[in-house]
Amino acid sequence: MSTRDDRPESDFLSRPVTRRQVLKGAAVVGAGAALGPLLAACGGAEPTASPSPAGGAPKTGGTLRVATAAGSSKEDLDVHAPALTIPVMGMRFNIYDSLLEKDAQGVLGMALAEEIVPNSTGTEYTVKLKSGLEFHDGKSVTADDVVYTFKRILDPKKPGLAAPQLRGLTPDGIKKVDDLTVTFVLETANAIFPETLAVYSCGIVPTGYDPKGGDGAIGTGPFKVEDFLPGQKGVLAKHPNYWRADGGPYVDTLEMIEFADSTAQLNALLGGAVDYCQMLEGAQRTVAEGAGMVLLEAKTGSWIPFTMRTDIKPFNDVKVRQAFRLLVDREQMMAQGSGGMQWLGNDMYAPFDPGYPSDLPQREQDLEQAKSLLKQAGYDNNLTVKLTTSTSVSPGAPAAATVFARQAKSVGVDVKVDNVTGDVFWGDEYLKYQFAMDNWGTRGYLEQAGMGSMPDAYYNETHWDHPEWLALVEEAFKTVDDAKRNELITQASTIEYNEGGYIIYAFDKQVDAHSTKVAGVIPDVSGLASAANNARYRLAYLV
Amino acid sequence: MPPLLKLILIRLGLGLLTLFLVTIVVFIATQGLPGDAARAILGKEATNVARYEALREELGLDRPMLTQYTSWLAGVATGDFGTSLVGGGQKVTTLLGSRVANSAMLVFLAALVSIPISIVLGATSAIWRDSRFDNVVNLGNLSLAALPEFVIGIVLVLIFATAVFKWLPSVSNINALVPLTQQMWLFVLPVATLVLAVIPYVSRMLRASTVEVLESEYVMMARLKGISESRVLWHHALPNAIVPTIQVIAINIAWLAGGIVTVEYLFGFPGIGSALVDAVANRDMPVVQALVLLVAAVYVVLNLIADILTILISPRLRTGLR
Repeated sequence: MSTRDDRPESDFLSRPVTRRQVLKGAAVVGAGAALGPLLAACGGAEPTASPSPAGGAPKTGGTLRVATAAGSSKEDLDVHAPALTIPVMGMRFNIYDSLLEKDAQGVLGMALAEEIVPNSTGTEYTVKLKSGLEFHDGKSVTADDVVYTFKRILDPKKPGLAAPQLRGLTPDGIKKVDDLTVTFVLETANAIFPETLAVYSCGIVPTGYDPKGGDGAIGTGPFKVEDFLPGQKGVLAKHPNYWRADGGPYVDTLEMIEFADSTAQLNALLGGAVDYCQMLEGAQRTVAEGAGMVLLEAKTGSWIPFTMRTDIKPFNDVKVRQAFRLLVDREQMMAQGSGGMQWLGNDMYAPFDPGYPSDLPQREQDLEQAKSLLKQAGYDNNLTVKLTTSTSVSPGAPAAATVFARQAKSVGVDVKVDNVTGDVFWGDEYLKYQFAMDNWGTRGYLEQAGMGSMPDAYYNETHWDHPEWLALVEEAFKTVDDAKRNELITQASTIEYNEGGYIIYAFDKQVDAHSTKVAGVIPDVSGLASAANNARYRLAYLV
Repeated sequence: MPPLLKLILIRLGLGLLTLFLVTIVVFIATQGLPGDAARAILGKEATNVARYEALREELGLDRPMLTQYTSWLAGVATGDFGTSLVGGGQKVTTLLGSRVANSAMLVFLAALVSIPISIVLGATSAIWRDSRFDNVVNLGNLSLAALPEFVIGIVLVLIFATAVFKWLPSVSNINALVPLTQQMWLFVLPVATLVLAVIPYVSRMLRASTVEVLESEYVMMARLKGISESRVLWHHALPNAIVPTIQVIAINIAWLAGGIVTVEYLFGFPGIGSALVDAVANRDMPVVQALVLLVAAVYVVLNLIADILTILISPRLRTGLR
């Protein structure tokens, strides 16, 4: 994944409070009724395919019309820039390819690269391109384009979104070996460099790439840009010389139509104006199912944590952090915060990482223990904290915060919920809150640690600084051997399970719906932009 | 100079002054909002200060406020509305062209349908006041007036597009690349929603003023003179009754022209209302200014037209001008 790009949070910034959100807010205050899903920018899939309505070989041809969430006129198709809205992220998935990619189960594999060979210390990676790759304009993909792409991402004047994640890479470290081979020489060991090459904001573009206005938005992806109206729609046409021998694209045209309101989005599907509808909200599942639509549910690794600042009172005392984690009734919070669109979390991120300690006991509410921990920390019915939240974190975040405040009251902790607008939340105070919430996408453990947990991480919102943990993570970054690295990750993750600053009560599910005319889409753990990772639209066909 | 022409010129001059003041107010108001276009573009990436500053410079947001305003105003004076600060940096006119056309068509159709219906309903229920017909119309009007337009829209969609019948398109995703006249089908439900939202106000206004006129002494006099009832109504009563209604109609059309955001959202209709909401969220000054100017201009012009019509229709004012 790239730097928080799977979280077009500014989409929520810009998304006006629609009637639906207002109604949802009312439901929370009133009855604590089921909220909409955490309509996360991220969502994803579980590795089980949803029932496909048709068997047999995929048919080719036709137009697949996809209803996508609210866009904005600020969208652009520059694959290296932040994807500000869900629709434009989806379009980029279909237009560009990276050197490597993660499949629907989150397993890393080759895309444009034929192979990637590391040296023994994880400081040098040699990438060989597949031969015969072609850009949308017919030009072949060469090592020069790869060099150009990464220099563009690392441009100090206008760094790409993935720049901070390409740990150790400088423009001088990108070296063309021959027409199809490039060597990346890193300044520091980075065992997850190949994983970073797989993020979509490392999409390979042709030398001289100029995507302004959409005309020059050229990649190697399954679809090429035919028409792009920011905030309204993107019309993409099949790339006839797509490099993959199997796996589509099957439809001739992919239309991604943007809707400001999720009711309109679903109505478009029910009325037959589109064939596929991304990201349903809670109650809409029943409506779509009742109307004979097919649901596609994805279990994702994206999460909406509570963030406790581990360097200031009261959370600098690990006992307070442990107490706060113990006072959460996770099931209740999931029910009220998302209406059943989440799955249980255990205070650790990266659930799909091979090193994730899945055998640790599931943490449950234990008010007695929480009380006793608080007492040991010197708090006896006299702790007051402010919890900052916002619908721009996630539409359901304020509801979850309210539930938390109520649960905290039962152990004598007074949590004052401060629900602010997106402008304020992501403003100057962001990353400085004592106690707040945030949203994160699906990532591997080290990627996530590099972005959110290491002392020098840009988004270290919990101000986590734990020498023993850091030593493990730094060692893991240098360990090219997968098994050894995974073991280090398990140990580091366990430390966070015991002492960390996050309360991770759940991960998101994401549900799309489509008509019975559509087949071939599969759910995806990344949950970027839709339950079917948009890249899978190449697999979609019409029956 | 004929007095009416003089009046029109004075009002147009005042209208221009109003528009100028509107641009100042809007500019100051948008500056008062937290954040700016650079922050909107970068989102959370704006926490990267160097990058944020670089983008501000690129967009010209680092210039003093007054310079930004005057350079924009100078552009507008020469017919150049500038380029959008966000996205591909398109010309404002290109960006908004199709949306303005869509909204204009929506307003035109809604007015075309709702005004005659309102007038007929209002007049007939005034004539047959307290009859069963009048009671039914009243009840209908009050019920419709009590419902927000998006509720009316949702019900129409449920009945005609998704749940009951599938006769009409459920969304109006108008294609900017195809002439509107080939997509009239997509206007049916949004227009119907707006028509149902407008009718209660206009028809109730007309009913009230017609009732008042029908009870006035000059109508009694006309009847006493033995003039036929239809002539009394169409020739003597209605022209006077319609005068206050003209203002209500003008305000309603202006309200429609301001962009009905909820209806645009409900039908996925690409109009100016949602564009304005988007532009404000993006702090996209040139787009906000262009749209607000447009809407303000519509208000000015419609009010002017309503006043002129009022003068032309009411004999007292008409003769007073001479």
